[in-house]
Amino acid sequence: MSQTEKQKKEQKAAMKRLRQERKQKIKDIAATVKTQKEAVKAIKEQLQNHGGTVPQIARETGISADKVLWYIAALKKYGEISEAEKDGGYFRYILSEGSPEEIFNGQPDGSQDTK
Amino acid sequence: MDAILELDFDALIVGGGIAGLQAALDLADQDYQVAVVEKDTSIGGKMIRLSKVFPTLDCSSCITTPKMAAAAHHENITIFTYCDLKSLESEGLVLTASITQRPRYVNPDKCIGCRLCEYHCPVYVADKEEGGFSARKAAYIPFSNAIPQIALIDVENCMLCGKCAKVCPTQAVDYFQEPENFTIRAKTAVLATGFELTPVENKQQYGNGEIPNVITSLQMERLLAPHGPYNRVLRPSDGMEPDAVAFIQCAGSRDKSMGISYCSRVCCMYAIKQAMLLSGSLPLADITVYYMDIRAFGKGYEQFYQNAKAMGIEFVKGKVATIDAGANDSVTLRYEDQNGEGVTSANHDMVALSLGMIPGWNPEGTCPVSTAADRFIQTIRPKIAPTRTDMEGVFVAGAAAGPKDIVDTITEAGAAAMEAAKYMTAMETARKAVA
Repeated sequence: MSQTEKQKKEQKAAMKRLRQERKQKIKDIAATVKTQKEAVKAIKEQLQNHGGTVPQIARETGISADKVLWYIAALKKYGEISEAEKDGGYFRYILSEGSPEEIFNGQPDGSQDTK
Repeated sequence: MDAILELDFDALIVGGGIAGLQAALDLADQDYQVAVVEKDTSIGGKMIRLSKVFPTLDCSSCITTPKMAAAAHHENITIFTYCDLKSLESEGLVLTASITQRPRYVNPDKCIGCRLCEYHCPVYVADKEEGGFSARKAAYIPFSNAIPQIALIDVENCMLCGKCAKVCPTQAVDYFQEPENFTIRAKTAVLATGFELTPVENKQQYGNGEIPNVITSLQMERLLAPHGPYNRVLRPSDGMEPDAVAFIQCAGSRDKSMGISYCSRVCCMYAIKQAMLLSGSLPLADITVYYMDIRAFGKGYEQFYQNAKAMGIEFVKGKVATIDAGANDSVTLRYEDQNGEGVTSANHDMVALSLGMIPGWNPEGTCPVSTAADRFIQTIRPKIAPTRTDMEGVFVAGAAAGPKDIVDTITEAGAAAMEAAKYMTAMETARKAVA
């Protein structure tokens, strides 16, 4: 066995031990991530056609409005959602064009910093 | 067991906010070797998180970023971020600081700040840099102009999926990093440990921080920053552009029920600044400031206040007694209007609490420097040498010594650097005389 292969094997074993040590925590976080993925999927589905405002998305998805805004702020930061025109007292949000990977490649920090 | 790393510097600066950076730059420019120890992941302190500064309305990060960059690139300054000061003791004429470097789980020498780990991390975590209004990932760079631009992994929210390690182009991710202890020896030290806001959870009459759309002043700063969580001012409960916004003064100062009887000095001016910025971004909104009395103490501050009134911002003299959740996510204030109709109530879409300043650090158990009754670091000659503490060779600058604005903080940091330089010169002269 080469030195590199041996190192890889040791690294893998060490990761396994670490995962075992943090088993419960990992389980809890994985459950959170599952909820987050479902929420993001539901929000994106709502935005797929004509976009929507936060209360509209909240109504359609059953996610609370403050949480919808929280996800939208995050997805906007990571370039997956854009702000569109105003609709009454609210702004509409639409999906950004291109996959996140393409956006990241074109825009190194993926953010929408206006500074 | 590995030997603990020992480093020698002329001066140690505790805190990498604007006071610490100014003191570090002033000492480094005099050819002293300076170490800056910062507890946060980036230098820049509170100032880098602000939108604009009063009374000039200059962009805050436009002033802070060059200072941060100057310190980071200065050949006489070494910056240690994400570090805890465990002890600072005097041993003869030498100060010894024991410091723990918290693990980033990313090798700082390998990380190139590309953020690929952040983009691919699947875990969203509330971003405290954005007042909790947005999310970051479990693997992240704190903010876009953070210094250093080094990623870290929030181990409390990491599920060890390995995606960050897989995409990292430089193999910088290291899940097995441990805290590292090291020692800094210096001739002098400047404490620039800054402030925190009064905890809103302590004020039951104001809803203990649980009423929707009642936010803190630092959260309002983030909403007003063009690079903030929404890139505009929106109501956090539902994304509505607010039509009526209120600022409540003395929400965490001059209030013995919270154990803070002193005035935090800057709240009046920062609330006026925020009201003016808000008026600029939401010209049709009704903006009201509820105050006990306006303390516009600095150069140009009274004119700033008068300008705000001329812009149509309403100032209501009255201490708000209670805050309650109203209909449709609005906020109801009950107060006594001292110039009008007595006890009354008003509804607003959003309310910002002008919270006071409390010390950012308690030296007890870490460093034998005394604190005053208000728990800020005590200065022994406040009139003629306001940066001197009761520990020889240790000076204090900025909000660590008491509430003050940015102008006074920077001035005091310069003074602390001069005192420290003077102290080192005197020590060197004495040493030569003995030799």
